[in-house]
Formats: sequence, structure tokens, C-alpha cells
Amino acid sequence: MTIKMLSVKDLTMHYTTSRGEVSAVNNVSFEIEKGQSLGLVGESGCGKTSIAFSLIRLLPDNAQIKNGEIILDNENITAMNKKQLLQVRWKGISMVFQAAMNALNPIFSVGDQIVEAIQAHNSDINIKNARVKVAELFTLVGLDPQLMDRYPHELSGGMRQRAVIAMALSCNPKLIIADEPTTALDVIVQDRILNQLKEIQKRLDMSMIYISHDIAVIAEVSDRIGVMYAGRMAELADAKTVFNAPIHPYTYALLGAFPSIKGKKRVLTTLPGEPPDLLNPPSGCRFHPRCPRATSQCQQEAPPFVEHKPDHFAACWHPMEVKNV
Amino acid sequence: MKKYILRRVIQILFTLIIFQSLLFIILDAQPGDITNLYLLNPKITPEAQEQMRVVLGLDKPPLVRYLRWLWNFVQGNLGTSFSHYPREVMDIIMERAPRTLVLFLTNQLISFSVGFFLGKQMAWHRGTTFEYGLTIIGVILFTIFTPWFGLMMIYLFGIELNLLPIGKFLDPSIWRNVPLDANTIFYYLIVTAVIGLILIILVNRLTRKTSRIVRQIVRIGGFVVIVGGSILIWSLTPVGFLAGDIVKHMILPVLVSTLVSFAGTMLLMRNTMLETLREDYIMAARAKGLPESVIRDKHAARNAFLPAFTNLIISIPFALSGGIITETIFSWPGMGLTLLEAVNLEDIPLAMGTLSFVGVLALLAHLVADIAYAFLDPRIRYQ
Amino acid sequence: MQAQTTSSSKITIPIWRVRLNLLWKNFKANWKLFRKNPIGLIGLVIIIIFALMAISHPILMKYVWEPRVYDPVIGYDIEVFAHPSPPSARHLLGTDPLGRDILSQLLYGTRFSFILGISSALISVIIATTIGAISAYYGGVVDMIFMRLADVVTMLPFIAILVVLSAMFEFTGFTLALVYGLLVGFGGQTIVIKSQALSIKVKPYIESARASGGSDMHIIFTHMLPNLLPISFLFMMFTVTNAVFAEAALSFFGLLNIRMSWGIMINTAQAAGYLLAGPEYFHLLLPAGLAITLLCSAFYMVGRALDEIVNPRLRDR
Repeated sequence: MTIKMLSVKDLTMHYTTSRGEVSAVNNVSFEIEKGQSLGLVGESGCGKTSIAFSLIRLLPDNAQIKNGEIILDNENITAMNKKQLLQVRWKGISMVFQAAMNALNPIFSVGDQIVEAIQAHNSDINIKNARVKVAELFTLVGLDPQLMDRYPHELSGGMRQRAVIAMALSCNPKLIIADEPTTALDVIVQDRILNQLKEIQKRLDMSMIYISHDIAVIAEVSDRIGVMYAGRMAELADAKTVFNAPIHPYTYALLGAFPSIKGKKRVLTTLPGEPPDLLNPPSGCRFHPRCPRATSQCQQEAPPFVEHKPDHFAACWHPMEVKNV
Repeated sequence: MKKYILRRVIQILFTLIIFQSLLFIILDAQPGDITNLYLLNPKITPEAQEQMRVVLGLDKPPLVRYLRWLWNFVQGNLGTSFSHYPREVMDIIMERAPRTLVLFLTNQLISFSVGFFLGKQMAWHRGTTFEYGLTIIGVILFTIFTPWFGLMMIYLFGIELNLLPIGKFLDPSIWRNVPLDANTIFYYLIVTAVIGLILIILVNRLTRKTSRIVRQIVRIGGFVVIVGGSILIWSLTPVGFLAGDIVKHMILPVLVSTLVSFAGTMLLMRNTMLETLREDYIMAARAKGLPESVIRDKHAARNAFLPAFTNLIISIPFALSGGIITETIFSWPGMGLTLLEAVNLEDIPLAMGTLSFVGVLALLAHLVADIAYAFLDPRIRYQ
Repeated sequence: MQAQTTSSSKITIPIWRVRLNLLWKNFKANWKLFRKNPIGLIGLVIIIIFALMAISHPILMKYVWEPRVYDPVIGYDIEVFAHPSPPSARHLLGTDPLGRDILSQLLYGTRFSFILGISSALISVIIATTIGAISAYYGGVVDMIFMRLADVVTMLPFIAILVVLSAMFEFTGFTLALVYGLLVGFGGQTIVIKSQALSIKVKPYIESARASGGSDMHIIFTHMLPNLLPISFLFMMFTVTNAVFAEAALSFFGLLNIRMSWGIMINTAQAAGYLLAGPEYFHLLLPAGLAITLLCSAFYMVGRALDEIVNPRLRDR
């Protein structure tokens, strides 16, 4: 019996800039079950981070959710007022930020900041008990609990990232969004942290959204993969299917651009052109200018995001039939 | 931490020596020397003048004189005043210094607090008329010509409305048959203020780890109790009315000097807050579901506080300079007025001595502020 | 594949033209940003008004006013009975205790303040930028000496020092501008400019300039200095403000040997005992005090607006 944890329907989000409206997220729909992880992959600017911030409604003043519904475990996030929103943040959905970010305030100790998160959502826990919990979390992510009272600048990049993960777990969230959590780390640390994350996710039976532009990383941690292009979701299926039998030409091109250690040497395919300017997105299917299979229908009408095969969604007028890429 | 403090102290001492040396160079650069002042007296013959120079050690080579100058300074011997002969310069300074200190410290404290608070509000209400209005008011007040502004204020409050006294720091008629002198009262006032400040800081530190509501109540309540308590204690003493007189005379000078200087902190605070609010950890704090007031006051303002404090440190010499102007307008007999008097009367020892002292004061204040900064910014301590 | 070059693809525009065009483009872009800031614009307008006032004085003196009556320093109006006299048709702002026309003094003072302020600012900025660039570029002992010196200078109270100096040396407007410019130039500005220069020094194009054989002087002047100009210009604004204020204060104390300035106007009123004499004598204090305040505010406002350009994080999104 699978429980639906997150359900996103037709999410549309725009930024208002001095040059016009930027259509950052356009009619995106997906679902995540309890304990399942979804990887969102795509080029820079395709809208994956915008989706993440839209889920917790942490948008700048010039951004707006124009349409759509976000339901977390039967609670409608899009309809929440400010007070409810403050509660659902971190306790319902928490975030692990990019390693390069200063997600930690430099003038407070790491432990204090996690205690703050805990106390903000559990008013009856006193400081002593909160610190005990922080120590547990540190052990869980592989940090020495004594580091709790250190300041962020005293920790290495990998240690900081683990602390940020511990912070994200601190209120037992139902869903964690990990936004490029290992991009700024070196490969060895990256590997360790990815494995740690995967293990914690399985152990705590948490849902996770994993965001990256690196399809290799996505492949390692995700149960399902959603491919984003120009603010729309191009394809959504479980990880194996996306890799072995993608049906959207963009996914195919994305995979083709990625060298494989096994298998024959082959010429890497590259996509001509650039991702479109979301201020004036292309008409119809946003991928049509770069798509080798585009027809006039693709230019005139945007393809609907439908289930082409069991549990395999795509937005394409001419999906591909490819076996064993 | 200790290493940092030690390093700072040595740097300040070094600066002090350079400062004194610069003063010596200025003094020496003048053509002739002090004995030239006596040239106009026909009774003094050139031989007598030469004898004077020997007595004063002015015939020795410059290096010797320079070292003597430094040595005297270190001992606290700043010479003897001409215009207040035979009082020693140090003596006169000690008498006048507390009055300047009282004004200076009060001004810095109030102007920083007000500037900090208003700057925070301005950043939070960016783009509104409130912000623009306050910016213009702030800029005009910051660049207003202080003597002119001071005179306007004196005219308004002292003469037209007759609310506050016009100048000086006490009303002689009240003080006529009183056993104590003004300096003792000043001294005790400073002591009260220092004790009050320490208590407030203690209260703040002790309540750090408690919950928000308890903390707010204790801090605000503590502040009221401490201030109210001090006033109460003073009014119960037999000399309370004297202190009240001094405070009454202080209101206008403090008001003018605060109005003229708070905008510096305020505008900087607004800029720094805006920069801080762009930082990633602010966004992370929002994602954690913390309420806006906590983000503003705890996360953003605490970070923005540091550059504002640095600015306070940097503007200490300007504040002292401004103090000179304020003292002149209000005839407040502190160091600033002394300096002007000395310059106008060509009392070189007094002028140089006062300047030395003001320099020392500036450097000391700088040192204290630097050390306080090390306590506030955890990143500095571990260098 | 080799790039084919033919004689027709040679660049014929002289390099100074290219640089000029770049500078103009840069200026236009910055002007666009500056325009968005209402406070900067107000400041600029006030400065322009004052500039017009300054220019108008010699014209008025030559063509409109009778020099014997309207000269700001030695004029005296016999036809008016008691001096100081309140504003009238003859003397739009009245006369001061010595019988001189206040409007004339005000206009003359404008010219004086501009010259004083701008020369101080230029001197200080030239010193600070040169030292900052050299310190950043050469590093080592040179850097240490200048930075230590700057540390010392920032801790000194300028006005107090100027007060004492004015007792020992007679200050005219020019010498005051010089001394003030020197004091400011070696102080805090140098530290900021140096750190800015440092961030330029580590940029790759500096290394490539050195690798292609550029001499030190060339690198400093052609590459570093233009990038330091915005922040230097910013500091100039604030220096003008402070210089005008300092001169006014010192003149008010009666310590300077200047013929006429706004500070002297207030000092004259004070020396004759009219400071707190009542509202009918406001015309002695108001114009000068207001002028000093407005000019200082104007430069400060422009400085703040420039601050938002130089420091992009402060801009509205």
C-alpha cells in the first residue's frame, strides 16, 4: 500500500522583472510516494530550483505562483496562510542547500542554529533536550557531536554540508529537498555524502526530491527521474526506464551527451543551440527549435504531459521508441 | 583572543608614540621658540633670553629635546600653562576632561542606539516614503552646519520657549553654598553611568539562553529598573539637585550633538542590513519557518551590527572633533573649549597638552572598541 | 585550420579612440543607474544651482553692481543708515555689521567653497589612489609603511589638529585645502582603495599584461587606475563635504586668514554680538548657515547615490 506523500498539479510560477514576465515553471505535475526519491534533472535555468522554492513557497517578492496545487500528505500548501506556512516549513518539507551557499549564519554556532529550528517547531522542548537531539543527528550524519558548538567557519566544506543535512533532518520532515547538495565538493567527499544521504533516506523512510544538473549523481540516488526543460517537465519515469528507454528526444540527447565507462567508445552527441530565454519562450513545445524530430505541430501546439506507457509520462508529440541505449 | 588584544595594545602604543612625535615636529617646525614670546619685553636682554633657553633646555640638539619631550609625556608632564600660570597643564586637563567625557559618551551611546534602530527599520521598509523621508532628514542633519544648528536650537529652546538653559554646565546661583564641587558630581555621574551599563550588559548576557518572551521582559524591565533606580538613588541623596542641574544643562548639547551624528550610523545600518538580507543564510532561516521578526532582529541585525560598530570605531575621532564645536557653542568648559582658548591666547603648552590628551583619548577609545568588537565577532577571535 | 588575415582586416581605429568610446559607454551606463536614485538627483540639482550662483558673482560684480557698495569684503553702503540692515530692495539679503551686502558675500562664498572643496578633494584623492595602487601592486615594505601610516591617521581628530595648527601657521584658503587634502589623503581612504586595487591586481588580465611585457607603471596607470576611478570619485564627494564643513567651522572659530567665506560671515555676526540677538537679525546667520548645510548635503547625497552604483548589492532588484 503506497501512500502518496506529495502531489503537484499544474504548477505554474512566474517572475516579474523590469523586462517582462519570465515563465520559470509551466504546468508541472508529478507525485511522490512515501519513502520514494525523485530526481529532478536538467540544464541550468530549466526551473528545477524554482520548483523547489515554490514547494515551500519561499519565493522573492517579484515571483508568484500563478496556478497549480501542491498537496503534502493531504495538506494543501498552495492554500495555506502565513502562519500555517511557517509551521509546514521544515517540519513538513525541509531543504538541504547547495554546499557552496552560506546556509549557516556565521555568527552563531552550528548547534545553536539546529536547536533554533527544533524549538521553532516544537515549543515544548527545552534547550537541553534539543541539544541531545542535535547530538543524535550529528552521529547520524557522521559528525562528531562535539562539533556542535563550533562556528561554521571552523568546519570544512564536507563537515558543513553534513551539518546542513543534520539541520534538514532535525524536525523529522516528511519530504526533504536536496538542491545540488554536493556540487561544490570534491568527488570523494561527494561520493560519501551521497551514500550517507541515500542510507538515511532509506532508514527513515523519507521522501526526497533530489535536484541536480549532473545526471550521474541523479542516477545514483533517485528511484524516479523527472527531466526538466525550459520550465516544463519533459519526461517522468522510474530511473531505469529513463536510462534504458527514454521516449523524449531531449532525454535521449541528455543521455547521449554523457560518456559511459562501460560499452563502446562512441561520439558524444551534443545538442545544437541553447536553452531558450524564458522571457519569450518558443511557441508550442519549448524544445522544438533544437529537436531533430520537430514538426509544424510541435511549433504550434504545446504537447500535453500524459502517460504514454504505464507510469511513464512525457510531453511530446513524437515520442521515441528506443531500446537499450 | 589574548594574542589579538596584545597585538592591538602594542599597535596603539606604537601609534601613540608616532602621534606624540608628530606633535613634536609641529612644535619644532615653528621658527624660533617659546622664548621668543618674551622678546617683546624690553626688560629682557638677549643674554637673559639665552639663559632662559638654557634653563628650558632649548639649546640642546633636536634629538635630545625630542627624547625629553617623549619622556615628559610618558610621565604625564605636559608642561605649565601660560594663561593659567602657575597651574600645570595636566592639572587643568584633569579638571576639564570629565565634562568632555560625559558629553562624548552620552552622545555616542544615544546616537548609536537610535541610528541602529532607525537603520534597521529603514532597511525593513525599503522603498517606502518612510525610508526616503528619513534618508533626506538624516542626510541634512548629518551635514548641517553644527554651529548654526546649535545656535538655532539654543534660540528655540533657551530663549523663545525658555525651557532649557543657554550655556555652561551649571547655574551658579544654585551651587553657591554647596560643599562639593562640580567635578566630584561629574565623577559620580560617570560612575553611575558605567555601573548602569555593566548591569545592562550583565542582564543581556544572562538572558541569552532563555526563551524569547522571558528574555524580552527581563531585558526591557531590567533597563527600566536600572535607569529608574539610578534616578531614584540620586534624588535621595542631599546633592541630587546638583546632579539634576548638570543633567538639565546637558540636555541641549546632547540633543544637538546626537541629532547631528545619528544619521551616520543609521544610513550605514540601512545599507548593511540590505546587504545582509541578500545573504543565503537569511533565505535558509526563512526556509526553516522562522517568523520574520526573528529573522530581522536575530539573524540579519546581529550580522549588520558588526560593520555598524566598526563604523562607530572609525568615527570616534570625528565625534571628538565635533565635541569641540558643541562645547564652543554651549560654552561647555571641557577639553574642546580649553583647546580653543589655549589657541586664542597662544598658550602653547596648554594647546599642545590638550591636543595630546585628545589624541590619547581617541586612541584609547579606539582600543576599547576594538576589543569589544573581538567579543562580538567570533570570526576575529581566531586569527 | 588557420585564421586567415588580410590587410583589409587590420584595425584602423586608434587605441585612444577605443578607450574613449569605452569610457563614454561606461559613463552612459552609470548615468542610467544614477538617474534612478532620486536622492542623488536632488543633490546634483542643488550642486548645479550653487554652481550657477558661483558663476553669477563675477558677472554681477562687473556689470550689475556698483563695486564700492557691493564688494563682499570692502563694500560699504553709505546710503543705508544703520548696519546691519534687514533685507530690502537695495540689498536683497540685507547688510552685515560692517555694511557689506550679504547676497554678494553669499555668492562670493559659493565660489570660494567650491574651489576649496574640490581642490581638497582632488589632492586627497590623488594621494589616496596613488598610494593605494602602489601599495597593492608592490606589497611588502612599501605596503606596510603606508598602511601603518593610514592606521595612525585614521585615529586622529582632524579638527582638533587643525585648530592647533592654525595657531602656529597662518592658514589661507589654499593652504587649508592643501593640509586638509594631505590629512585625508593619507588616511582611511587609502586603506579602502588599496583593498580594491588588490582585488584588481589578482585578476587574470593583469597577469597577462605583465606576461606580455607591460612595465609596472604602465599596468598601474592603464589597468588599475581606471577601475579605481569610481570609488575614488565616490570618496571625492565626501571629502568636499567634510572640507567645506571644516573650513566653515575653523572660520567660525576665527582661526583662519581668509577674506571672505560663509564661515567668515557667521564669524562676523558672532564677533559683533548678533548671534542670539533675535529674529530680526536672522538674515545674518540664515543664508550662510543654510548655504553650508545645503552644499554639504548635496555632495553627500550625490556620494550616497554613487555608493549604490559602486556597490551593486545595494541596488533595487
